[in-house]
Amino acid sequence: MNPAIKAIIRKDFRSITANRKLFSTMLIVPLCLTVLLPSIFILVSHFAPDDPDMQKLLSLLPAGAGAESLQLTVASLILNYILPVFFLMIPIMTSSITAASSFVGEKEKRTLETLLYCPLSVQQIFRAKVLASFLLSMLVSFLSFAAMLLFVELEAYFLMHGLLRPSLHWLLILLLLAPSLSLIAVTLIVRGSAKAKSVEESQQSAVFLILPLILLMVGQFSGALLLSTLFLLGLSVLCLFLAVLLLRKALRRFTYEMLLQNTSPSTQSRH
Amino acid sequence: MQAIDIEHLSKTYAGGQKAVRDLSFTFGEGEVFGFLGPNGAGKTTTVKLLTGMLTPTSGRCRILGIDPAAQPEQVHALCGVVTEHAQMYDTLTGLENLQFFASLYGTGPEQSLARAREVLQLLRLEDAADQKLATYSSGMRQRLSLARCLMHRPRILFLDEPTAALDPESVQNVNQLIQNLAQSEGITIFLCTHQLRYAQEICTRYGLMSHGRLLALGTLNELRARLFSHSTLRIRASHIQEAPQALKPDADGCFTMPIACEEKVPEVVRQLVQSGAHIYEVEIIRPTLEDIYFSLTKER
Repeated sequence: MNPAIKAIIRKDFRSITANRKLFSTMLIVPLCLTVLLPSIFILVSHFAPDDPDMQKLLSLLPAGAGAESLQLTVASLILNYILPVFFLMIPIMTSSITAASSFVGEKEKRTLETLLYCPLSVQQIFRAKVLASFLLSMLVSFLSFAAMLLFVELEAYFLMHGLLRPSLHWLLILLLLAPSLSLIAVTLIVRGSAKAKSVEESQQSAVFLILPLILLMVGQFSGALLLSTLFLLGLSVLCLFLAVLLLRKALRRFTYEMLLQNTSPSTQSRH
Repeated sequence: MQAIDIEHLSKTYAGGQKAVRDLSFTFGEGEVFGFLGPNGAGKTTTVKLLTGMLTPTSGRCRILGIDPAAQPEQVHALCGVVTEHAQMYDTLTGLENLQFFASLYGTGPEQSLARAREVLQLLRLEDAADQKLATYSSGMRQRLSLARCLMHRPRILFLDEPTAALDPESVQNVNQLIQNLAQSEGITIFLCTHQLRYAQEICTRYGLMSHGRLLALGTLNELRARLFSHSTLRIRASHIQEAPQALKPDADGCFTMPIACEEKVPEVVRQLVQSGAHIYEVEIIRPTLEDIYFSLTKER
Protein backbone atom coordinates (compact mmCIF):
# COMPACT_ATOMS: atom_id res chain seq x y z
CA MET A 1 0.00 0.00 0.00
CA ASN A 2 1.14 3.55 -0.84
CA PRO A 3 2.71 5.09 2.33
CA ALA A 4 0.68 8.28 1.79
CA ILE A 5 -2.56 6.28 1.82
CA LYS A 6 -1.38 4.49 4.97
CA ALA A 7 -0.65 7.88 6.57
CA ILE A 8 -4.18 9.13 5.81
CA ILE A 9 -5.70 5.95 7.26
CA ARG A 10 -3.57 6.25 10.42
CA LYS A 11 -4.51 9.91 10.80
CA ASP A 12 -8.24 9.16 10.34
CA PHE A 13 -8.10 6.40 12.94
CA ARG A 14 -6.44 8.77 15.34
CA SER A 15 -8.84 11.65 14.64
CA ILE A 16 -11.87 9.48 15.31
CA THR A 17 -10.52 7.82 18.44
CA ALA A 18 -9.30 11.19 19.76
CA ASN A 19 -12.82 12.60 19.49
CA ARG A 20 -14.28 11.24 22.72
CA LYS A 21 -17.87 12.20 21.93
CA LEU A 22 -17.76 10.56 18.53
CA PHE A 23 -15.91 7.51 19.73
CA SER A 24 -18.21 6.91 22.69
CA THR A 25 -21.28 7.17 20.41
CA MET A 26 -19.60 4.65 18.16
CA LEU A 27 -19.07 2.24 21.04
CA ILE A 28 -22.23 2.67 23.11
CA VAL A 29 -24.70 1.45 20.47
CA PRO A 30 -22.63 -1.64 19.54
CA LEU A 31 -22.24 -2.45 23.23
CA CYS A 32 -26.02 -2.19 23.74
CA LEU A 33 -26.64 -4.38 20.72
CA THR A 34 -24.02 -6.99 21.52
CA VAL A 35 -23.90 -7.07 25.31
CA LEU A 36 -27.06 -5.59 26.82
CA LEU A 37 -29.62 -6.92 24.36
CA PRO A 38 -28.24 -10.51 24.22
CA SER A 39 -28.02 -10.56 28.01
CA ILE A 40 -31.68 -9.59 28.28
CA PHE A 41 -32.61 -12.31 25.76
CA ILE A 42 -30.56 -14.94 27.59
CA LEU A 43 -31.96 -13.98 30.97
CA VAL A 44 -35.52 -14.06 29.63
CA SER A 45 -34.93 -17.45 28.06
CA HIS A 46 -33.41 -18.67 31.33
CA PHE A 47 -36.24 -17.53 33.51
CA ALA A 48 -39.13 -18.36 31.18
CA PRO A 49 -38.25 -21.59 29.38
CA ASP A 50 -41.44 -23.45 30.14
CA ASP A 51 -43.70 -21.00 28.45
CA PRO A 52 -46.05 -23.06 26.20
CA ASP A 53 -45.57 -20.58 23.33
CA MET A 54 -41.83 -21.16 23.51
CA GLN A 55 -42.36 -24.91 23.28
CA LYS A 56 -44.56 -24.38 20.24
CA LEU A 57 -41.87 -22.22 18.66
CA LEU A 58 -39.18 -24.81 19.29
CA SER A 59 -41.23 -27.54 17.67
CA LEU A 60 -41.38 -25.43 14.48
CA LEU A 61 -37.62 -25.08 14.22
CA PRO A 62 -35.29 -27.25 12.12
CA ALA A 63 -34.18 -30.46 13.84
CA GLY A 64 -30.55 -29.32 13.95
CA ALA A 65 -31.44 -26.40 16.17
CA GLY A 66 -31.84 -28.60 19.24
CA ALA A 67 -29.12 -28.60 21.95
CA GLU A 68 -28.50 -30.59 25.11
CA SER A 69 -30.99 -28.62 27.20
CA LEU A 70 -34.08 -26.62 26.41
CA GLN A 71 -32.55 -23.45 27.81
CA LEU A 72 -29.43 -23.86 25.72
CA THR A 73 -31.57 -24.56 22.64
CA VAL A 74 -33.40 -21.27 23.15
CA ALA A 75 -30.15 -19.42 23.82
CA SER A 76 -28.62 -20.94 20.67
CA LEU A 77 -31.65 -19.83 18.69
CA ILE A 78 -31.21 -16.32 20.00
CA LEU A 79 -27.51 -16.33 19.19
CA ASN A 80 -27.82 -17.73 15.70
CA TYR A 81 -31.16 -16.36 14.46
CA ILE A 82 -32.05 -13.20 16.37
CA LEU A 83 -28.74 -11.54 17.21
CA PRO A 84 -27.30 -11.53 13.65
CA VAL A 85 -29.98 -9.10 12.50
CA PHE A 86 -29.22 -6.75 15.39
CA PHE A 87 -25.49 -7.20 14.86
CA LEU A 88 -25.74 -6.07 11.24
CA MET A 89 -26.74 -2.62 12.40
CA ILE A 90 -23.24 -2.15 13.80
CA PRO A 91 -21.24 -2.01 10.55
CA ILE A 92 -23.86 0.30 9.02
CA MET A 93 -23.91 2.63 11.99
CA THR A 94 -20.15 2.76 12.57
CA SER A 95 -19.43 3.21 8.85
CA SER A 96 -21.88 6.10 8.73
CA ILE A 97 -20.14 7.79 11.63
CA THR A 98 -16.58 7.17 10.45
CA ALA A 99 -17.21 8.05 6.80
CA ALA A 100 -19.13 11.20 7.66
CA SER A 101 -16.44 12.26 10.07
CA SER A 102 -13.49 11.44 7.85
CA PHE A 103 -14.85 12.92 4.63
CA VAL A 104 -17.55 15.50 5.31
CA GLY A 105 -15.85 16.35 8.61
CA GLU A 106 -12.73 17.28 6.65
CA LYS A 107 -14.82 19.54 4.44
CA GLU A 108 -16.49 21.12 7.43
CA LYS A 109 -13.16 21.80 9.15
CA ARG A 110 -11.58 23.03 5.91
CA THR A 111 -8.89 20.38 5.94
CA LEU A 112 -10.05 18.57 2.81
CA GLU A 113 -8.68 21.30 0.55
CA THR A 114 -5.26 20.93 2.20
CA LEU A 115 -5.35 17.20 1.45
CA LEU A 116 -6.34 17.91 -2.14
CA TYR A 117 -3.26 20.13 -2.59
CA CYS A 118 -1.01 17.14 -1.81
CA PRO A 119 0.47 15.07 -4.64
CA LEU A 120 -2.26 12.43 -4.49
CA SER A 121 -5.03 11.91 -7.01
CA VAL A 122 -8.64 12.40 -5.93
CA GLN A 123 -9.10 8.69 -6.44
CA GLN A 124 -6.21 7.88 -4.07
CA ILE A 125 -7.63 10.19 -1.42
CA PHE A 126 -11.08 8.69 -1.94
CA ARG A 127 -9.67 5.16 -1.59
CA ALA A 128 -7.76 6.07 1.57
CA LYS A 129 -10.83 7.62 3.14
CA VAL A 130 -13.12 4.72 2.22
CA LEU A 131 -10.54 2.25 3.49
CA ALA A 132 -10.07 4.11 6.78
CA SER A 133 -13.82 4.24 7.45
CA PHE A 134 -14.28 0.65 6.37
CA LEU A 135 -11.43 -0.71 8.48
CA LEU A 136 -12.51 1.19 11.56
CA SER A 137 -16.07 0.00 11.12
CA MET A 138 -14.87 -3.59 10.72
CA LEU A 139 -12.68 -3.27 13.78
CA VAL A 140 -15.63 -2.08 15.88
CA SER A 141 -17.80 -4.86 14.40
CA PHE A 142 -15.27 -7.60 15.18
CA LEU A 143 -14.68 -6.28 18.67
CA SER A 144 -18.43 -6.12 19.22
CA PHE A 145 -18.75 -9.70 18.05
CA ALA A 146 -15.98 -10.81 20.40
CA ALA A 147 -17.64 -8.95 23.31
CA MET A 148 -21.01 -10.46 22.44
CA LEU A 149 -19.62 -13.99 22.25
CA LEU A 150 -17.77 -13.57 25.52
CA PHE A 151 -20.82 -12.32 27.40
CA VAL A 152 -23.26 -14.78 25.85
CA GLU A 153 -20.97 -17.75 26.53
CA LEU A 154 -20.30 -16.60 30.10
CA GLU A 155 -24.01 -16.17 30.74
CA ALA A 156 -24.77 -19.54 29.16
CA TYR A 157 -22.03 -21.22 31.17
CA PHE A 158 -23.03 -19.78 34.52
CA LEU A 159 -26.80 -19.85 34.06
CA MET A 160 -27.29 -22.90 31.85
CA HIS A 161 -24.12 -24.87 32.55
CA GLY A 162 -23.19 -25.27 28.91
CA LEU A 163 -21.66 -23.40 26.00
CA LEU A 164 -23.35 -22.16 22.86
CA ARG A 165 -22.13 -23.04 19.39
CA PRO A 166 -22.18 -20.15 16.91
CA SER A 167 -23.47 -21.36 13.56
CA LEU A 168 -21.97 -20.93 10.12
CA HIS A 169 -24.24 -17.84 9.80
CA TRP A 170 -21.78 -15.87 11.86
CA LEU A 171 -18.87 -16.68 9.59
CA LEU A 172 -20.85 -15.47 6.58
CA ILE A 173 -21.97 -12.37 8.45
CA LEU A 174 -18.53 -11.45 9.73
CA LEU A 175 -16.60 -12.14 6.57
CA LEU A 176 -19.08 -11.24 3.85
CA LEU A 177 -22.30 -9.53 4.82
CA ALA A 178 -21.00 -7.07 7.44
CA PRO A 179 -18.07 -5.92 5.25
CA SER A 180 -20.39 -5.51 2.24
CA LEU A 181 -22.94 -3.52 4.23
CA SER A 182 -20.18 -1.41 5.71
CA LEU A 183 -18.74 -0.70 2.26
CA ILE A 184 -22.18 0.25 0.92
CA ALA A 185 -22.73 2.62 3.85
CA VAL A 186 -19.28 4.22 3.45
CA THR A 187 -19.74 4.68 -0.29
CA LEU A 188 -23.20 6.19 0.12
CA ILE A 189 -21.93 8.67 2.70
CA VAL A 190 -18.87 9.60 0.66
CA ARG A 191 -20.98 9.92 -2.52
CA GLY A 192 -23.38 12.22 -0.75
CA SER A 193 -20.54 14.17 0.83
CA ALA A 194 -19.97 16.28 -2.29
CA LYS A 195 -23.37 17.87 -1.74
CA ALA A 196 -23.68 17.56 2.04
CA LYS A 197 -22.66 20.61 4.02
CA SER A 198 -22.54 18.98 7.44
CA VAL A 199 -21.67 15.64 9.00
CA GLU A 200 -25.26 15.19 10.19
CA GLU A 201 -26.67 15.83 6.72
CA SER A 202 -24.40 13.26 5.14
CA GLN A 203 -25.23 10.60 7.75
CA GLN A 204 -28.87 10.71 6.68
CA SER A 205 -28.03 9.12 3.34
CA ALA A 206 -27.13 5.82 5.03
CA VAL A 207 -30.22 5.75 7.23
CA PHE A 208 -32.31 4.01 4.63
CA LEU A 209 -29.89 1.06 4.76
CA ILE A 210 -31.38 0.27 8.15
CA LEU A 211 -34.81 -0.25 6.54
CA PRO A 212 -34.06 -3.63 4.88
CA LEU A 213 -32.58 -4.71 8.22
CA ILE A 214 -35.80 -3.80 10.00
CA LEU A 215 -37.72 -5.86 7.42
CA LEU A 216 -35.34 -8.74 8.07
CA MET A 217 -35.95 -8.33 11.77
CA VAL A 218 -39.73 -8.31 11.32
CA GLY A 219 -39.40 -11.38 9.11
CA GLN A 220 -37.43 -13.18 11.79
CA PHE A 221 -39.75 -12.28 14.63
CA SER A 222 -42.95 -12.97 12.69
CA GLY A 223 -41.62 -16.24 11.38
CA ALA A 224 -42.14 -15.18 7.76
CA LEU A 225 -38.41 -15.52 7.10
CA LEU A 226 -35.81 -17.68 8.76
CA LEU A 227 -32.11 -16.92 8.38
CA SER A 228 -30.60 -19.79 6.49
CA THR A 229 -27.03 -20.23 5.28
CA LEU A 230 -28.17 -20.09 1.68
CA PHE A 231 -30.23 -16.96 2.27
CA LEU A 232 -27.32 -15.23 4.02
CA LEU A 233 -24.90 -16.28 1.29
CA GLY A 234 -27.22 -14.92 -1.40
CA LEU A 235 -27.74 -11.68 0.50
CA SER A 236 -24.00 -11.29 1.09
CA VAL A 237 -23.15 -11.80 -2.58
CA LEU A 238 -25.86 -9.34 -3.59
CA CYS A 239 -24.58 -6.72 -1.11
CA LEU A 240 -20.97 -7.27 -2.14
CA PHE A 241 -21.91 -6.81 -5.81
CA LEU A 242 -23.84 -3.65 -4.92
CA ALA A 243 -20.94 -2.33 -2.81
CA VAL A 244 -18.38 -2.83 -5.59
CA LEU A 245 -20.73 -1.30 -8.16
CA LEU A 246 -21.41 1.78 -6.02
CA LEU A 247 -17.75 2.18 -5.15
CA ARG A 248 -16.57 2.05 -8.76
CA LYS A 249 -19.26 4.46 -9.86
CA ALA A 250 -18.44 6.90 -7.08
CA LEU A 251 -14.71 6.63 -7.80
CA ARG A 252 -15.25 7.71 -11.40
CA ARG A 253 -17.45 10.66 -10.42
CA PHE A 254 -15.03 12.41 -8.09
CA THR A 255 -13.06 15.44 -9.21
CA TYR A 256 -11.32 18.21 -7.27
CA GLU A 257 -13.89 20.70 -8.55
CA MET A 258 -16.83 18.62 -7.40
CA LEU A 259 -15.32 18.16 -3.94
CA LEU A 260 -14.59 21.84 -3.54
CA GLN A 261 -18.06 22.92 -4.63
CA ASN A 262 -19.40 23.12 -1.10
CA THR A 263 -16.17 23.75 0.74
CA SER A 264 -16.06 27.46 0.12
CA PRO A 265 -19.31 28.55 -1.48
CA SER A 266 -18.90 32.15 -0.49
CA THR A 267 -15.43 32.28 -1.93
CA GLN A 268 -16.39 30.66 -5.17
CA SER A 269 -19.17 33.11 -5.72
CA ARG A 270 -17.05 36.09 -4.67
CA HIS A 271 -13.77 35.31 -6.40
CA MET B 1 11.53 27.57 -18.43
CA GLN B 2 8.72 29.87 -17.37
CA ALA B 3 7.44 29.28 -13.85
CA ILE B 4 3.89 30.16 -14.83
CA ASP B 5 2.59 30.41 -18.36
CA ILE B 6 -1.07 31.33 -18.88
CA GLU B 7 -2.77 31.66 -22.26
CA HIS B 8 -6.31 32.99 -22.69
CA LEU B 9 -7.43 31.33 -19.46
CA SER B 10 -11.13 31.67 -18.61
CA LYS B 11 -13.36 30.14 -15.99
CA THR B 12 -17.13 30.33 -15.87
CA TYR B 13 -18.83 28.59 -12.94
CA ALA B 14 -21.85 26.34 -13.37
CA GLY B 15 -24.15 29.19 -12.33
CA GLY B 16 -22.88 31.30 -15.24
CA GLN B 17 -20.61 33.54 -13.15
CA LYS B 18 -17.53 34.49 -15.15
CA ALA B 19 -14.77 34.46 -12.55
CA VAL B 20 -11.74 34.69 -14.85
CA ARG B 21 -11.84 36.19 -18.33
CA ASP B 22 -9.19 35.66 -21.00
CA LEU B 23 -6.16 35.84 -18.72
CA SER B 24 -2.71 35.71 -20.38
CA PHE B 25 0.71 36.27 -18.86
CA THR B 26 3.99 34.53 -18.11
CA PHE B 27 6.77 34.99 -15.62
CA GLY B 28 10.02 33.27 -14.74
CA GLU B 29 11.36 31.46 -11.69
CA GLY B 30 12.45 33.38 -8.60
CA GLU B 31 10.01 36.25 -9.07
CA VAL B 32 7.68 37.52 -6.37
CA PHE B 33 4.57 38.10 -8.43
CA GLY B 34 1.83 40.17 -6.81
CA PHE B 35 -1.59 39.18 -8.12
CA LEU B 36 -3.68 42.04 -6.89
CA GLY B 37 -7.28 43.07 -6.79
CA PRO B 38 -10.26 43.43 -4.49
CA ASN B 39 -12.39 40.52 -3.25
CA GLY B 40 -14.21 38.99 -6.20
CA ALA B 41 -11.53 39.98 -8.72
CA GLY B 42 -10.82 36.33 -9.63
CA LYS B 43 -7.57 35.83 -7.70
CA THR B 44 -8.56 32.69 -5.78
CA THR B 45 -10.17 31.15 -8.87
CA THR B 46 -6.92 31.74 -10.77
CA VAL B 47 -4.92 30.00 -8.03
CA LYS B 48 -7.34 27.08 -8.17
CA LEU B 49 -6.98 26.89 -11.95
CA LEU B 50 -3.18 27.03 -11.67
CA THR B 51 -3.14 24.23 -9.10
CA GLY B 52 -5.55 21.99 -11.01
CA MET B 53 -8.38 22.30 -8.49
CA LEU B 54 -10.61 23.78 -11.17
CA THR B 55 -10.77 22.95 -14.87
CA PRO B 56 -10.59 25.96 -17.18
CA THR B 57 -13.62 26.72 -19.32
CA SER B 58 -11.21 27.76 -22.07
CA GLY B 59 -7.53 28.53 -22.51
CA ARG B 60 -4.62 26.75 -20.87
CA CYS B 61 -1.92 27.16 -18.26
CA ARG B 62 1.42 25.53 -17.51
CA ILE B 63 3.24 25.38 -14.18
CA LEU B 64 6.93 24.69 -14.82
CA GLY B 65 5.83 23.16 -18.11
CA ILE B 66 3.14 20.92 -16.58
CA ASP B 67 -0.57 21.28 -17.35
CA PRO B 68 -2.32 21.32 -13.93
CA ALA B 69 -5.66 20.28 -15.44
CA ALA B 70 -4.09 17.11 -16.85
CA GLN B 71 -1.49 16.30 -14.16
CA PRO B 72 -2.55 18.00 -10.92
CA GLU B 73 -0.56 15.63 -8.69
CA GLN B 74 2.70 16.53 -10.45
CA VAL B 75 1.94 20.22 -10.04
CA HIS B 76 1.12 19.69 -6.35
CA ALA B 77 4.48 17.97 -5.83
CA LEU B 78 6.23 21.13 -7.05
CA CYS B 79 4.02 23.73 -5.41
CA GLY B 80 2.84 24.81 -2.00
CA VAL B 81 -0.48 26.54 -1.43
CA VAL B 82 -1.47 28.74 1.49
CA THR B 83 -5.10 29.81 1.51
CA GLU B 84 -7.57 30.44 4.29
CA HIS B 85 -9.57 27.44 3.03
CA ALA B 86 -6.69 24.99 3.44
CA GLN B 87 -6.49 24.38 7.18
CA MET B 88 -4.80 21.67 9.25
CA TYR B 89 -5.93 19.28 11.97
CA ASP B 90 -6.91 20.68 15.37
CA THR B 91 -6.43 17.31 17.06
CA LEU B 92 -2.77 17.09 16.04
CA THR B 93 0.11 19.21 17.32
CA GLY B 94 1.91 21.65 15.04
CA LEU B 95 4.78 19.19 14.62
CA GLU B 96 2.48 16.23 13.96
CA ASN B 97 0.56 18.22 11.37
CA LEU B 98 3.77 19.03 9.51
CA GLN B 99 4.95 15.43 9.70
CA PHE B 100 1.60 14.14 8.48
CA PHE B 101 1.60 16.39 5.42
CA ALA B 102 5.28 15.60 4.77
CA SER B 103 4.39 11.90 4.74
CA LEU B 104 1.89 12.59 1.95
CA TYR B 105 4.81 13.93 -0.08
CA GLY B 106 6.69 10.69 0.52
CA THR B 107 9.09 12.06 3.16
CA GLY B 108 10.24 9.54 5.78
CA PRO B 109 9.60 10.17 9.51
CA GLU B 110 13.20 11.10 10.43
CA GLN B 111 13.67 13.46 7.51
CA SER B 112 10.30 15.06 8.10
CA LEU B 113 11.05 15.60 11.79
CA ALA B 114 14.31 17.39 11.02
CA ARG B 115 12.71 19.50 8.29
CA ALA B 116 9.69 20.29 10.50
CA ARG B 117 11.97 21.59 13.28
CA GLU B 118 13.80 23.69 10.71
CA VAL B 119 10.68 25.34 9.24
CA LEU B 120 9.08 25.81 12.65
CA GLN B 121 12.15 27.75 13.69
CA LEU B 122 12.01 29.74 10.45
CA LEU B 123 8.42 30.72 11.24
CA ARG B 124 9.17 31.28 14.94
CA LEU B 125 6.86 28.50 16.04
CA GLU B 126 9.38 26.19 17.72
CA ASP B 127 7.91 26.85 21.18
CA ALA B 128 4.43 25.82 19.99
CA ALA B 129 5.62 22.72 18.12
CA ASP B 130 4.13 20.28 20.62
CA GLN B 131 0.90 22.18 21.24
CA LYS B 132 -2.34 20.97 19.69
CA LEU B 133 -3.38 23.14 16.74
CA ALA B 134 -6.67 23.87 18.54
CA THR B 135 -4.70 26.08 20.95
CA TYR B 136 -3.03 28.14 18.18
CA SER B 137 -4.07 31.72 17.48
CA SER B 138 -5.12 32.58 13.92
CA GLY B 139 -1.73 34.18 13.28
CA MET B 140 0.08 31.05 14.46
CA ARG B 141 -2.17 28.91 12.25
CA GLN B 142 -1.33 31.11 9.29
CA ARG B 143 2.39 30.73 9.98
CA LEU B 144 2.02 26.97 10.40
CA SER B 145 0.28 26.82 7.00
CA LEU B 146 3.29 28.55 5.52
CA ALA B 147 5.54 26.07 7.34
CA ARG B 148 3.51 23.19 5.87
CA CYS B 149 4.07 24.55 2.37
CA LEU B 150 7.82 24.77 2.90
CA MET B 151 8.15 21.20 4.20
CA HIS B 152 8.62 19.64 0.75
CA ARG B 153 10.84 22.47 -0.59
CA PRO B 154 8.45 23.63 -3.32
CA ARG B 155 9.58 25.51 -6.42
CA ILE B 156 6.46 27.68 -6.52
CA LEU B 157 4.46 29.02 -3.61
CA PHE B 158 0.89 30.21 -4.07
CA LEU B 159 0.06 32.50 -1.17
CA ASP B 160 -3.52 33.72 -0.94
CA GLU B 161 -3.65 36.59 1.58
CA PRO B 162 -0.79 35.09 3.64
CA THR B 163 -0.62 37.93 6.15
CA ALA B 164 -4.36 38.46 6.65
CA ALA B 165 -4.39 37.27 10.28
CA LEU B 166 -0.88 38.35 11.29
CA ASP B 167 0.26 41.04 13.71
CA PRO B 168 2.69 43.67 12.36
CA GLU B 169 5.77 41.87 13.71
CA SER B 170 4.75 38.59 12.09
CA VAL B 171 3.96 40.42 8.83
CA GLN B 172 7.51 41.76 8.82
CA ASN B 173 8.90 38.31 9.57
CA VAL B 174 6.83 36.67 6.82
CA ASN B 175 7.77 39.42 4.32
CA GLN B 176 11.44 38.84 5.07
CA LEU B 177 10.95 35.10 4.70
CA ILE B 178 9.16 35.47 1.34
CA GLN B 179 11.91 37.71 0.00
CA ASN B 180 14.61 35.33 1.25
CA LEU B 181 12.87 32.34 -0.32
CA ALA B 182 12.77 34.09 -3.67
CA GLN B 183 16.28 35.53 -3.53
CA SER B 184 18.29 32.75 -1.86
CA GLU B 185 16.37 29.63 -2.84
CA GLY B 186 14.94 30.80 -6.17
CA ILE B 187 11.38 29.93 -5.15
CA THR B 188 8.75 31.63 -7.28
CA ILE B 189 6.07 33.35 -5.23
CA PHE B 190 2.56 33.93 -6.57
CA LEU B 191 1.10 36.28 -3.98
CA CYS B 192 -2.61 37.09 -4.04
CA THR B 193 -3.70 40.02 -1.95
CA HIS B 194 -6.02 42.97 -1.87
CA GLN B 195 -3.57 44.87 0.35
CA LEU B 196 -1.76 46.91 -2.29
CA ARG B 197 0.60 48.63 0.14
CA TYR B 198 1.74 45.28 1.50
CA ALA B 199 2.32 43.92 -2.03
CA GLN B 200 4.36 46.99 -2.99
CA GLU B 201 6.81 46.16 -0.19
CA ILE B 202 7.76 42.71 -1.43
CA CYS B 203 6.75 42.02 -5.03
CA THR B 204 8.96 42.32 -8.08
CA ARG B 205 6.15 42.22 -10.65
CA TYR B 206 2.44 42.84 -10.49
CA GLY B 207 -0.75 41.73 -12.18
CA LEU B 208 -3.74 43.90 -11.34
CA MET B 209 -7.14 42.25 -11.58
CA SER B 210 -10.70 43.50 -11.59
CA HIS B 211 -13.88 41.54 -12.29
CA GLY B 212 -11.93 38.56 -13.62
CA ARG B 213 -9.87 40.62 -16.08
CA LEU B 214 -6.20 41.50 -15.97
CA LEU B 215 -6.02 45.31 -16.02
CA ALA B 216 -2.26 45.69 -16.17
CA LEU B 217 0.95 43.72 -15.84
CA GLY B 218 4.52 44.76 -15.14
CA THR B 219 7.05 46.02 -12.62
CA LEU B 220 6.13 49.04 -10.51
CA ASN B 221 8.21 51.36 -12.69
CA GLU B 222 6.68 49.95 -15.87
CA LEU B 223 3.19 50.47 -14.49
CA ARG B 224 4.03 54.00 -13.36
CA ALA B 225 5.50 54.86 -16.74
CA ARG B 226 2.47 53.47 -18.48
CA LEU B 227 -0.12 55.35 -16.44
CA PHE B 228 1.53 58.47 -15.07
CA SER B 229 3.52 61.09 -16.97
CA HIS B 230 4.88 62.68 -13.80
CA SER B 231 5.68 62.30 -10.09
CA THR B 232 5.18 64.99 -7.45
CA LEU B 233 8.03 67.01 -5.96
CA ARG B 234 7.23 68.06 -2.41
CA ILE B 235 9.32 70.67 -0.64
CA ARG B 236 9.11 71.91 2.93
CA ALA B 237 10.65 75.39 2.92
CA SER B 238 10.27 78.94 4.18
CA HIS B 239 11.27 82.43 3.02
CA ILE B 240 10.45 81.62 -0.57
CA GLN B 241 10.87 84.78 -2.65
CA GLU B 242 11.12 83.46 -6.15
CA ALA B 243 9.88 80.02 -7.18
CA PRO B 244 9.01 78.08 -10.32
CA GLN B 245 5.49 78.86 -11.46
CA ALA B 246 4.35 75.27 -11.02
CA LEU B 247 5.28 75.17 -7.33
CA LYS B 248 2.04 75.53 -5.33
CA PRO B 249 1.42 75.47 -1.59
CA ASP B 250 -0.45 72.42 -0.30
CA ALA B 251 -2.70 71.88 2.70
CA ASP B 252 0.19 70.80 4.98
CA GLY B 253 2.13 74.04 4.52
CA CYS B 254 4.53 72.50 2.03
CA PHE B 255 4.94 73.20 -1.67
CA THR B 256 4.36 70.70 -4.46
CA MET B 257 4.86 70.59 -8.19
CA PRO B 258 4.64 67.88 -10.86
CA ILE B 259 7.96 66.70 -12.30
CA ALA B 260 8.52 64.43 -15.27
CA CYS B 261 11.91 63.11 -14.09
CA GLU B 262 14.16 63.37 -11.05
CA GLU B 263 16.80 65.30 -12.99
CA LYS B 264 14.55 68.33 -12.57
CA VAL B 265 14.95 68.29 -8.75
CA PRO B 266 18.45 69.88 -8.44
CA GLU B 267 17.40 72.65 -10.78
CA VAL B 268 14.31 73.53 -8.71
CA VAL B 269 16.22 73.30 -5.43
CA ARG B 270 19.07 75.45 -6.78
CA GLN B 271 16.62 78.12 -7.92
CA LEU B 272 14.95 78.20 -4.52
CA VAL B 273 18.24 78.37 -2.59
CA GLN B 274 19.56 81.12 -4.79
CA SER B 275 16.42 83.15 -4.12
CA GLY B 276 17.08 82.88 -0.37
CA ALA B 277 14.59 80.17 0.56
CA HIS B 278 15.29 77.97 3.60
CA ILE B 279 14.80 74.33 2.56
CA TYR B 280 14.11 71.71 5.25
CA GLU B 281 12.91 68.72 3.25
CA VAL B 282 12.74 67.61 -0.39
CA GLU B 283 10.82 64.51 -1.44
CA ILE B 284 9.69 62.92 -4.68
CA ILE B 285 6.26 61.35 -4.27
CA ARG B 286 5.89 58.62 -6.87
CA PRO B 287 2.52 57.01 -7.72
CA THR B 288 1.88 54.02 -5.47
CA LEU B 289 0.25 50.75 -6.48
CA GLU B 290 -2.97 52.11 -5.03
CA ASP B 291 -2.74 55.18 -7.29
CA ILE B 292 -2.04 52.89 -10.23
CA TYR B 293 -4.94 50.59 -9.40
CA PHE B 294 -7.46 53.40 -8.93
CA SER B 295 -6.26 55.07 -12.09
CA LEU B 296 -6.77 51.81 -13.98
CA THR B 297 -10.24 51.20 -12.59
CA LYS B 298 -11.20 54.82 -13.36
CA GLU B 299 -9.98 54.33 -16.92
CA ARG B 300 -12.44 51.49 -17.37
